[in-house]
Amino acid sequence: MPLGTPRIGRLAIQSGVMFALMMGVAGIAMYYVARDRLVENVDRSLDRERERLIPKHSQSPASTMSVEQAILRVEAGRTITDKGHAIFGGDGRQTFGAVTLKLPNDGYSDVLFREGKASKPREARALVVPLADGSRLVVVSHSEVVEDLNDVLLPLSLALFVTALMGGLLATQLLGREIAVRLQQITAAADEISRDNLDSRVPVDRLDGIFRVQAQSFNRMLDRIAKLIATQRQFSSSLAHELRTPLTRLLGILREGGRQDLPNHVSNILERAERESASTIRIFDALLRLSEIDAGRHPAALRKISLAAVVDDAIETVEPVLADANCDLKLLEIADVTVIADAELLVQVLVNAMENIALHTPAGTSAEVSVFQDGKEVFIRISDDGPGLPNEQLETVLQPFERGQASAHVKGNGLGLAVAQSIVHFHGGDLRLTNNMPGLMVEIRLPMVPA
Amino acid sequence: MEIADQLAVGMRHLGHLATTARTGAEALQATKSDDFDAVILDRMLPDITGDEVLRQLLVRPSRPPVLMLSALGSVSERIQGLQAGADDYLAKPFDMEELAARLQAISRRSVGRESEGTIAVGALHLEPAGLRACFKGETVLLNRKQYSLLVQLMRNADRLVTRKMLLEGVWGYGFETTTNIVESNLSRLRTKLLELGCDAIETQRGSGYVLRSSSCS
Repeated sequence: MPLGTPRIGRLAIQSGVMFALMMGVAGIAMYYVARDRLVENVDRSLDRERERLIPKHSQSPASTMSVEQAILRVEAGRTITDKGHAIFGGDGRQTFGAVTLKLPNDGYSDVLFREGKASKPREARALVVPLADGSRLVVVSHSEVVEDLNDVLLPLSLALFVTALMGGLLATQLLGREIAVRLQQITAAADEISRDNLDSRVPVDRLDGIFRVQAQSFNRMLDRIAKLIATQRQFSSSLAHELRTPLTRLLGILREGGRQDLPNHVSNILERAERESASTIRIFDALLRLSEIDAGRHPAALRKISLAAVVDDAIETVEPVLADANCDLKLLEIADVTVIADAELLVQVLVNAMENIALHTPAGTSAEVSVFQDGKEVFIRISDDGPGLPNEQLETVLQPFERGQASAHVKGNGLGLAVAQSIVHFHGGDLRLTNNMPGLMVEIRLPMVPA
Repeated sequence: MEIADQLAVGMRHLGHLATTARTGAEALQATKSDDFDAVILDRMLPDITGDEVLRQLLVRPSRPPVLMLSALGSVSERIQGLQAGADDYLAKPFDMEELAARLQAISRRSVGRESEGTIAVGALHLEPAGLRACFKGETVLLNRKQYSLLVQLMRNADRLVTRKMLLEGVWGYGFETTTNIVESNLSRLRTKLLELGCDAIETQRGSGYVLRSSSCS
């Protein structure tokens, strides 16, 4: 699966919304707490104002007259004030005061008042104190802060909510991204492994916490797998080595026997036995070569080379073979791309693919070769219009010793495509077979050298 | 019969004088006194390694050319052997003809008849710059494969050049083929030479080719 930008999907939105809601609730709670404190302060100042107007030591309720005089005295001494005063008669009508308002209930309350006739009603806290004659003193404290707080309540909480939502989404997105980046490193390592690159490990240096632990345990698992595969490769290459020696001796004996003066039918048998053991040795050689390439022990001269020159070389090599097999070879677009590769090994891959056309398709087959660039990769396509392969064999024939069923009688050791694939993997690319309808297409993908 | 004895018998069959040495020390001793045209050296010896024998031979002021023989047929082993200074490398099993052809090629090389620059056999000569073969005023254009094949054959004129030698020389040591790549390319080369009126390449009983200098004059 190709990896795009790391994402954790719905999780970011869910936790972002959750975060925003919680921030909203916290914002509203903070508003009420702040408002309570402010109101408390205002109420205390109202209380102080009352004491100024009605001295504490007088036990009986103050008379309206004395309070009115106190008000006039206090107001005369002030130029700027946030306090207003009003006195209401026993019938509830306002009889005195620079501010106008409706008579609130006794004690502290929120009120609306006007200063003079024209002004807009403003919010305030009011303290209502009953006076001796049944009239009531109203002290009004207008607080800009409380009013402002009320004015901005809706926009503020909205802004808070939106900010929290955005912040929450962003934060979880970032968090999610960080998590996804870490997980992606593990995914990338797993993908590398599935592409046959057993040396890949998850880098743990920049990880911490559970990610580090997880990466380490993942790496341990990879170590184990790599070891198992190395053992298996070692086994097949040792087996090939070990069996090669006695087979070589057997071949020597058969050749020795062939030189003796023997009846015709015996020397025929010896000759056939000699041919068979020679071809068995060739299979072992190819197997050794395969394990050599797989294990990266094949000497390769990696250089920047022109892919067009490699294709030319391979075509020059195989063209006469295809012509002898009455197959037609056509060159389509050949993009001249630079790759880092071992030219000899790449020629081998292309020659293998084209030799298969000569070996496995009937006379009259036409083949096409094209090279084109797509992004940072280059694709080499070798296609034919021969009998092709059933879909279920397209992958299996790339395995060592797997052949197409139809080609059981054709010569070849069943390792050609496996070797080709190993070489392409060694170059960081990929080889796959696809149905050309009709025929077969070998597609080789190689990483390009950045220009 | 051991492989060294098989080789000695085979060499004598082909009209060469052959001496066998059982150990590395014996080989180093024998090559001091006698004047050999070539040495066939196994990588695995009972006392010291073939690589060590080769290393000691290489420091001598004059030495016979060495063909390394090994049970290890991998490309890296082969290249290691050549890099260690062997003149050629052959993995077991091999045909006696293959071995003889390679011995001839390396012993010629040590004589120093190899001259760089233009390659010529009789009236046939090559122009490396243009990948051209010229014969008695006629010129034919070759592709790179045909040119390289012709170079291999001309350098070993009148000697057997095996199919395997051509494959290694033109396509590289690790090159494997399941088809008649050498035969098909060589038949194209032969056709080109026939256009020049030069029919010098002979097929040798399926094992290889010989370029006859007598057909080039």
